[in-house]
Amino acid sequence: MTTDAPPAKQKVYPRFRLGARIEHFITMTSFTILAITGLPQMFSLTSPIARGMIELMGGIQQVRVIHRYAAFALVAGSVYHLFTSLYRLYVKRERPRMMPVKKDLFDAINLVRYNLGLTDAHPKMPKFNFGEKFEYWALVWGTAVMTITGFMLWNPIATTNLLPGSIIPAALAAHGGEALLAVLAIVIWHMYNVHIKTFNPSMFTGWLPHDQMEEEHALELERLVGGGEAWPTPPPAELARRRRNYAIVSVIAGALVLTALIWLFTFEETAVEFVPVVTREVFSPLSATPVP
Amino acid sequence: MPSAKHLHRPSWTLLFAAALVFVAALFLLSMAPREAEAGAPPASEAQEQPRQTAGSENCLLCHEDNDAVVVFPDGSELGVAVAGGVLDSSAHGIHADEPLACTSCHSPSRYRFPHPPPEGESVREYELIQAQRCERCHVDPHITSHPGLDSDTPVVCTDCHGAHDVATVEAWEAGEPVVNCVECHVDAGVEFNHRLDLRHVIDEGLFAEEPDNDYCLSCHSLPNKTITLESGETLPVTIDEARFHDSVHGTDNEWQLLQCVDCHEGYVYPHELVVAETLREYRLQNYTICAECHEDKYEATLDDVHGDALAEGNEDAAVCTDCHGAHYVEEPDEPRSRISITCGQCHGTIFEEYAESVHGAALLEESNPDVATCVDCHGVHNITDPNLAAFRNRSPELCAACHADAELMAEYDISTDVFDTYVDDFHGTTATLFNVQDPDAPTNTAVCFDCHGVHDIRDPQDPDSGIKANLLETCRQCHPDATTNFPDSWTSHYQPSLEHYPLVFLVNWFYKLIIPATVGGLGFVVLTDVYRRLRHRRDHEGDDRDD
Repeated sequence: MTTDAPPAKQKVYPRFRLGARIEHFITMTSFTILAITGLPQMFSLTSPIARGMIELMGGIQQVRVIHRYAAFALVAGSVYHLFTSLYRLYVKRERPRMMPVKKDLFDAINLVRYNLGLTDAHPKMPKFNFGEKFEYWALVWGTAVMTITGFMLWNPIATTNLLPGSIIPAALAAHGGEALLAVLAIVIWHMYNVHIKTFNPSMFTGWLPHDQMEEEHALELERLVGGGEAWPTPPPAELARRRRNYAIVSVIAGALVLTALIWLFTFEETAVEFVPVVTREVFSPLSATPVP
Repeated sequence: MPSAKHLHRPSWTLLFAAALVFVAALFLLSMAPREAEAGAPPASEAQEQPRQTAGSENCLLCHEDNDAVVVFPDGSELGVAVAGGVLDSSAHGIHADEPLACTSCHSPSRYRFPHPPPEGESVREYELIQAQRCERCHVDPHITSHPGLDSDTPVVCTDCHGAHDVATVEAWEAGEPVVNCVECHVDAGVEFNHRLDLRHVIDEGLFAEEPDNDYCLSCHSLPNKTITLESGETLPVTIDEARFHDSVHGTDNEWQLLQCVDCHEGYVYPHELVVAETLREYRLQNYTICAECHEDKYEATLDDVHGDALAEGNEDAAVCTDCHGAHYVEEPDEPRSRISITCGQCHGTIFEEYAESVHGAALLEESNPDVATCVDCHGVHNITDPNLAAFRNRSPELCAACHADAELMAEYDISTDVFDTYVDDFHGTTATLFNVQDPDAPTNTAVCFDCHGVHDIRDPQDPDSGIKANLLETCRQCHPDATTNFPDSWTSHYQPSLEHYPLVFLVNWFYKLIIPATVGGLGFVVLTDVYRRLRHRRDHEGDDRDD
């Protein structure tokens, strides 16, 4: 898997396996759809552009339906990520390399100092540098906030069965604020770092060229050049045993979680479909029409 | 002598009778008040002094005030009294070029005292003979289709023109003598044998000009005139002249006084028969007359609820004249309460609900100039079905017309936050978007009236309003599964603050701080990277030149 690298001018190094790329694709797609269907709702009263977008997508009802399908995809993708993370940590025994460490803070400071010309030494950063860790954990936090508040907004009756009513408008405020925060962070940070600065192909090809490895992940580059494996390879017997364990647990848990998820997304009838039309006798003359 | 009896001078017997009736009326006042009124006028008429025609003094010595009668062979009687003023004010009177005296018609040779016996076997025969005298002067009387002397029921000059009281040309033009026509053809029910011939004569000759209001009113101002329709209903055709002149079409009309024939186009006497079987049918046949002038209003109503209902065969549907009246049209919004009262004529139960509401009570009891009347929400001539989705979706806009008007609401100490907070909320945003983008689509989003009521809107603090008192019930109309905490998920028109909905307020503030902080932080790092790259590129270019 790691051996047949695509032809390139520079030497390329393995960065993302197919599974990670699929996860990214799910997140990227659902996040984009959520943003496109969500922000116009937030700004529909103030922005004609937002209203135009809503109209283009088939009206507010349809926009909301799309938003909820995309939300399901995002949440399901997040659950899938939990399962694959478990696989990596338990079966493959990978190190939790996304966990922030103290060095990340210094890397950030040193990179800014380097950028400003205060030091000549570019910080050597690991496979996941501080910026990527920040973005990852921001995504985790954001998805959690959006999922919880989104659930509340979608199921206000179930929510207020347990929590005070004012949690609903608060959830709406948080859902909007967090959405804006996430989209701005993506536009500023993610877009700049992987598209504008230099296009980073690794999330689509799985490989990253030497120059970018050197600049952004010098420590990982040194490790790979030094003969280190991109991912650990456990002993086959051990791997098979853990895979079997994982398969049993994940199939059962997966089925349960998926069932729970579908139920959570569909169980509540929040409101009647249409406000009933109150028909009544409107002709009840008080006095005869005057003549002549 | 059809008209003579209207102008007779009261005799002693009549005066005595009047006095008797008057005295009787004093006793019977509570039972027969009308008799007392009827008895009074002759007493006042008696005071008028007639003017006399020169040369007639001698005749009038006897005939002016005389209750003697001539008895004809067939037993019919004719009073001999002739009031002097009657001849004086007639076409032959003192205003004529050549005023007539009594003897001008009643031949001098035969009319000296004592008189010879009158010709004829009866009063009628006497009248027919006397009427021949008109042709002494009027050698070429105009033709009419009235039957002549050779018929069984002859009509002679005096039947229409009168005898002593022959009408002047001015009086004919004013339409007064038309009463004569009415007496035979309407009151006595004499049929028109040659109706169309007569119409032709009238059009060509006597009444070539369009009749004016006085002409029409000469009949139609007579009290209690009615036409009985086939259904048995009576169609009143008496017009109160004063009220008509006070109407918007009357003398104060900015154009000009509307003529009867402006609406009743082409009407002359005798009229076409009324073909409507019922009063309603008559009204439905005639209301389109309004469209002659008010075409835009009429066109609008064709597509509104009333027009649609009528087109579907609902004859109760209101037409122009149901709301505005026919002859006594007044300013429809003067006073303003007239608007809602007008609608209430047909929509009685709704009106009663409205009258109890904040809006209705203020309008009807305090003459409030600002509160919504029926038409402020429903429109006037373009009323749409309020059960349509479009009406629901547009309804917040209707309320907003007043409740988002800060200046207006300040007078009543009502916050315009009520509208802003609604629109900012899920319900309001949805309704607003539907109204803008898909107004005809049915929605399930709550609008103002779902919680506040429709016609029975009350102060939300009013325990009868049902809003504050039991918000949960209100919510459950649309959210049947809602429980105790649910109503609090609506911010009750409060802008979140530390006092009201502090959690929302704090969350908003959190993001107001965290968003700029994050954007600033990330932006700073990005900018330093941009700076470094630009600097390196410049340095590199420098290197290239050095090489």
